[in-house]
Amino acid sequence: MKNISDLKIDEEGKVARVIAKEPVKSRLLSMGIVKGAKIKVVAHTLARQTWDILSDNTKVALREEEARCILVEETK
Amino acid sequence: MSSCCGNDTSCKKSTIKAEKGEIKVAIVGQPNVGKSSIINALSNAKLHVGNFSGVTVEKKEVYVEKNGYDILMTDLPGIYAFNAYTPEEQVAKDFLIKEDYDLIMNVVDANTLSRNLIFTMQLLDMHKKMILVVNMVDEIEKRDGNINKKRIEELLGIPVILTSAKRNRGVDEIIDCIIDTYDVNIAKNKIYYNEKIEQRIEDLAKILRKSQHFRDKDYSRFIAIRLLDRDENIYKIIHDLPIFIEAHKALEKMYAKLEAEFDEDSTTDILANERVAIARNLQMEAVDTQEKESLSEKIDNFLIHPILGLPIFLFFMWALFQLTFVLGNYPMNIISVIFSETSAFLADFLPKGVFNSVLTDGVLPAVGAIVMFLPNILILFLGLNLLEQTGYMSRAAYLLDGFMKRFGLQGKAFVPLVSGFGCTVPAYMAARTLKNPKDRIITMLVLNFMSCGARLPIYVLLVSAFFANENPGNILFFIYIGGATLGLIVAKILRIVLFKGEPEPFVMEIPPYRFPSLKALGMDLWIKTKMFLKKAGSFIAIAAMIIWFLSAYPTNGDMVQKYDAKVEHASSAQQKEQLKNELDSKLLENSYLGSVGKFIEPIFAPLGMDWRLSVAVVAGLSAKEVVVSALGTLYSMGGANETNKGLIAKIRANVDFKAAIALIIIIMIYSPCLAAMGTFYAEIPQWAWRVFYTIYPNVVAWLMAFGVYKTLALMGY
Repeated sequence: MKNISDLKIDEEGKVARVIAKEPVKSRLLSMGIVKGAKIKVVAHTLARQTWDILSDNTKVALREEEARCILVEETK
Repeated sequence: MSSCCGNDTSCKKSTIKAEKGEIKVAIVGQPNVGKSSIINALSNAKLHVGNFSGVTVEKKEVYVEKNGYDILMTDLPGIYAFNAYTPEEQVAKDFLIKEDYDLIMNVVDANTLSRNLIFTMQLLDMHKKMILVVNMVDEIEKRDGNINKKRIEELLGIPVILTSAKRNRGVDEIIDCIIDTYDVNIAKNKIYYNEKIEQRIEDLAKILRKSQHFRDKDYSRFIAIRLLDRDENIYKIIHDLPIFIEAHKALEKMYAKLEAEFDEDSTTDILANERVAIARNLQMEAVDTQEKESLSEKIDNFLIHPILGLPIFLFFMWALFQLTFVLGNYPMNIISVIFSETSAFLADFLPKGVFNSVLTDGVLPAVGAIVMFLPNILILFLGLNLLEQTGYMSRAAYLLDGFMKRFGLQGKAFVPLVSGFGCTVPAYMAARTLKNPKDRIITMLVLNFMSCGARLPIYVLLVSAFFANENPGNILFFIYIGGATLGLIVAKILRIVLFKGEPEPFVMEIPPYRFPSLKALGMDLWIKTKMFLKKAGSFIAIAAMIIWFLSAYPTNGDMVQKYDAKVEHASSAQQKEQLKNELDSKLLENSYLGSVGKFIEPIFAPLGMDWRLSVAVVAGLSAKEVVVSALGTLYSMGGANETNKGLIAKIRANVDFKAAIALIIIIMIYSPCLAAMGTFYAEIPQWAWRVFYTIYPNVVAWLMAFGVYKTLALMGY
């Protein structure tokens, strides 16, 4: 299954599962990144190390490691 | 648990009894929902800023009197959820669970209502009296959206107020709502979970009620929910109770059963899914909003651009230091002239004697030397505040994370590091947002390399004296960047040598750009100015006085007579002047301060620094401002009656270029002031780290200064 770090800038997706460990999982949840949430990649840095994700009107910065923990189903 | 006030002076106000009593309100909300702007917008409110007892987290208390009630509101640190993550969130959580208060005021952001509501539901689990303040509704309306207040009230069972702190809308209804809700006898919140979960909650609560601690029905239900949510803090509370074994057995069974029934890894996820579902449902029913590309996103296309982002950031920082120097320069000259003229006038006007000398040679030049730099400091603080309040700072953290990671730090460490350019004390506190203790200690150990605002005067003084012909703003920028770079290198070394292991995960909210509140900015600058002047007028003045006395005594009558005789025989006025100066510097050398300086001079001699600079450096350990004021006193005495020439010229005439560079390096690196050191000790309890922290910057400072001094000497300076 794809994860966020496979998406391109401006690509959208729906969160299928968050496989992060606690406490990161709860933290992602409180920022609106949960199963079923619509997400969009807003930006990433040149080296694709840090990602800027939009979900539920909230922008969240993540590292590649965390981005890989967020699995997505593709929407068009 | 100690009371909410601790040793806080704010407790005293309870001596004024209101007719109907006091309502204690806890203001809770996720970060970036605009809690502080709501507090700033409340009319007739008295604000008190202190600390939560035992910890260095800022505690804001707001006090309002209305309809015979005393309303005391405590603003808790921003908290995302009860699954506390940072030490600050832990403070908020502890307060909510352990302290005594009457009502919760939960502030949420209308733009991100559904995710805010997830936490609201955790709060509702407490079955306390509660009101919901939905802030920034104007932003929803601007996008042709609409929030149905009645519907939210029906669904949650608590009063809702729509506000826009920015437009000053709805804010004053909050107080009335608090009073009305307080007067109602029962809390009406009505959030219930899936039946299967509710059943387990009730079963668990029944067991809990066997203990005298959990007799209360609502409280036992809340504790049961927290236990099912796998809340470790709560688990620890029941761990020592007689019912623990029974509760623990029941819990284990429930975890297994629920996880199987819901096909989830953890009951935490089950409860989270429940709350998310309720929140989404509520959002759908009560909020009507259009998604539009916001201005924020347009700005971000540019400011966090993969290629342009970093250069833009560097430009902002460079511009800030340019402004600090260039703009600050104008008022600086005026203030300098005012002080030297005043002191020259008073020296003639007041009767000669010790008092005259203390004032005009000791206190005034010292205080003047430091007040002179107030404009520079204010510009720097204003700039940093602007970056923070507009939301740019978290973009910078995003941009720099990859870079910081290479040095064993993480992007979030950027915020305390940049605050370090303002003042090291709050910067140490800002490091609390780092959860991983290793990350936190590394960040705090290198924070000192980010030169604080109080060091700025020393740099400005030395740069003005030695680099007047180059672009002083650039040199200043270079000093700050140099310090920061050194800090990063040290962080890398620490990470490799002392702290192996992965840095903590990086998950950070990037708030939308907001126009900063001018009122808040102004207030902040005013408070800074007040505190700075107070410090200059008290602490710095006293330090200057001590330095003056140490430098004026013991008096040496013989030498004075000897020179007086020489002066009489002198042929020209020039010669007289020269003899006078010689006498002054001989007297100073033989004073107590001279002895102290001579005693420590050997340490600094290899750096080309004489005893005066040595004294100033050591005095700077009390507060960095003292370095400049000490130089002011030391050189104003040596050069007698030359006040109009100014300290900058005197430094240029008396200090060697290489020594000045060595001094800059020492100031950049060595231990921060006592207040900062105290904060570090308060934050880091391990003695090994405290000792290391106290020693290593000074060693590094000396070695670096020595290396540069020798290199410059080889280059022929």
